[in-house]
Amino acid sequence: MLSTQVATTSDAFPSRIPSWLKNFRIIPRIETYPVINKLAKTAVGKALILALFALGLRFAMTEWLPLSLGLAVITFLPVRRRILLTILTLVFTFAVPWVKWPHPLYTAALLVFVIAIGGMLFLLVMALPRSWIGRHPVFILLSGYSLLIVFAAYFPNDTHWYLTVWDFTATLGAYLWFIAYSLLDCRATGRDNLTLQLGTYRPFWGSPTTPFVKGSGYLRRIEAQDPGQLAVTQLKGLKLLAWSLLIMLFAKYYSQCVHGFLAIPTFTDAFFHSVSRAPYPWYTCWASLITEFLDSMLAVSVIGHRIVACCRMAGFNALRNTYRPLSSRTIAEFWNRYYFYFKELLVDFFFYPVFLKYFKTRKKLRIVVATFAAAGFGNAFYHYVFYLDYISQLGLWRSLAAFHVYIFYCTVLATAICISQTRKRGPKASGFFRGRVVPAFCVALFYCLLNIFNYTERTYPITEHFRFLAHLFNLTT
Amino acid sequence: MDHREEIRKFLNELLLQKGDKQPFADDTSLLLDGRLASVDAVDIVVFLEEKFGMDFAELDFDPTLIDSVDAIDALLQAAKKITPSFS
Repeated sequence: MLSTQVATTSDAFPSRIPSWLKNFRIIPRIETYPVINKLAKTAVGKALILALFALGLRFAMTEWLPLSLGLAVITFLPVRRRILLTILTLVFTFAVPWVKWPHPLYTAALLVFVIAIGGMLFLLVMALPRSWIGRHPVFILLSGYSLLIVFAAYFPNDTHWYLTVWDFTATLGAYLWFIAYSLLDCRATGRDNLTLQLGTYRPFWGSPTTPFVKGSGYLRRIEAQDPGQLAVTQLKGLKLLAWSLLIMLFAKYYSQCVHGFLAIPTFTDAFFHSVSRAPYPWYTCWASLITEFLDSMLAVSVIGHRIVACCRMAGFNALRNTYRPLSSRTIAEFWNRYYFYFKELLVDFFFYPVFLKYFKTRKKLRIVVATFAAAGFGNAFYHYVFYLDYISQLGLWRSLAAFHVYIFYCTVLATAICISQTRKRGPKASGFFRGRVVPAFCVALFYCLLNIFNYTERTYPITEHFRFLAHLFNLTT
Repeated sequence: MDHREEIRKFLNELLLQKGDKQPFADDTSLLLDGRLASVDAVDIVVFLEEKFGMDFAELDFDPTLIDSVDAIDALLQAAKKITPSFS
């Protein structure tokens, strides 16, 4: 939903650039070609698109065959799309990875238990909409999960239940935000029943812990309603997979070039040298920081594009996860363009609940508080509960104390987004250079420098990160 | 100026601020299709609160409720039915 993913081309290029160059695309907009569109509606056309898509997936992932078969089934039975989504998701949850699990029955039992908890919560909220749990389902889910982590952290580690408790906590953590989206859907008009909600619990097209692509409510709104929409959606899916493969190829040669041919150290290496008091020259550190920034953007694009492409092939016209982040002219816009579904998660579960309830008479204050709730607290909470290994190894408080670098990162990010959202803007700078290049450069530079603190490991204190930052400006001795 | 016209004018201004000069119909999806972003949704909420006295804390908020001129108008009509004193 809330993104700036439509290219506003009117001021995107200087007017002197010829129109053919303005409209040039590396991958043409095949979905707008009438012949291809017509073909994509036929059975032969669908089979052709699926075959091309499967061929592309083969280069991108190991489980390309079952995924392609799943997409073929859902393509040829569009009227049963949502129920097939549930069936395929359950197949991909249990049957496909079964042989890879070291203890299949144990893992399956944990998954069944977690899914059952999600299902029971959903039914409970549906049955008791006016109760406390019915009015605050996500708050209860997240609080309950936090208490479970506290319980696991203090569970005696000399009992044979210790590992089971942590395994259960990790499995529930993997489903946490998916369950949260289904609980959010309980109050929506035209909500889906539990059977259809199960299709959104880590959908078969693959998803990290951040739900791609949100929950059942979003799927209802973006589902192709007729053969014409399905054709366009699938062609866009095919294009996006092609993008993913192109970026993957580029990333491979880019990495070889910068880290091999140009011998620019990785950021981890440069940072380690700084910690060891044998830093690389300041300009080399800049190079490693910039290449790391670009590396991470390419990696996010490759995975995000592939997952959204599969979702589109299944008949859901989801927005991209990453869309031209380097063209962002404000800090808030970059956040929206870089990792759209993570930003959506924070907006849905932290921003809106605060914004709509508190400080309604003070516009700026409510934006500031809601932004801190999302980009600050929500962001830190998400990452703290994501890395359970540190909590189990270091304990609750030590792992929290060692998390201070990321908390600092969230605080700076939230502050910057607040300023970006609330400051009064003067007249928009005109011209391509002042209007687009300079703001985009400043935004990229800000995130590049902030990335020094985008650190979820718990090894080095914040002073080391500041030391690295100072070294970039040649301020260390 | 009636409700719909005011909403249309406000959304048009929001789009223009973003450099989006493409026309839009009353049923054009603006948030879900990505022409407007989260921060714009916030502006729409504030506009509806200030202009029409809407209270979103009382609603089960969903961005689709403010996704288009039609959606916003339907929301206003529904709010009028629920709250007779609604402005």
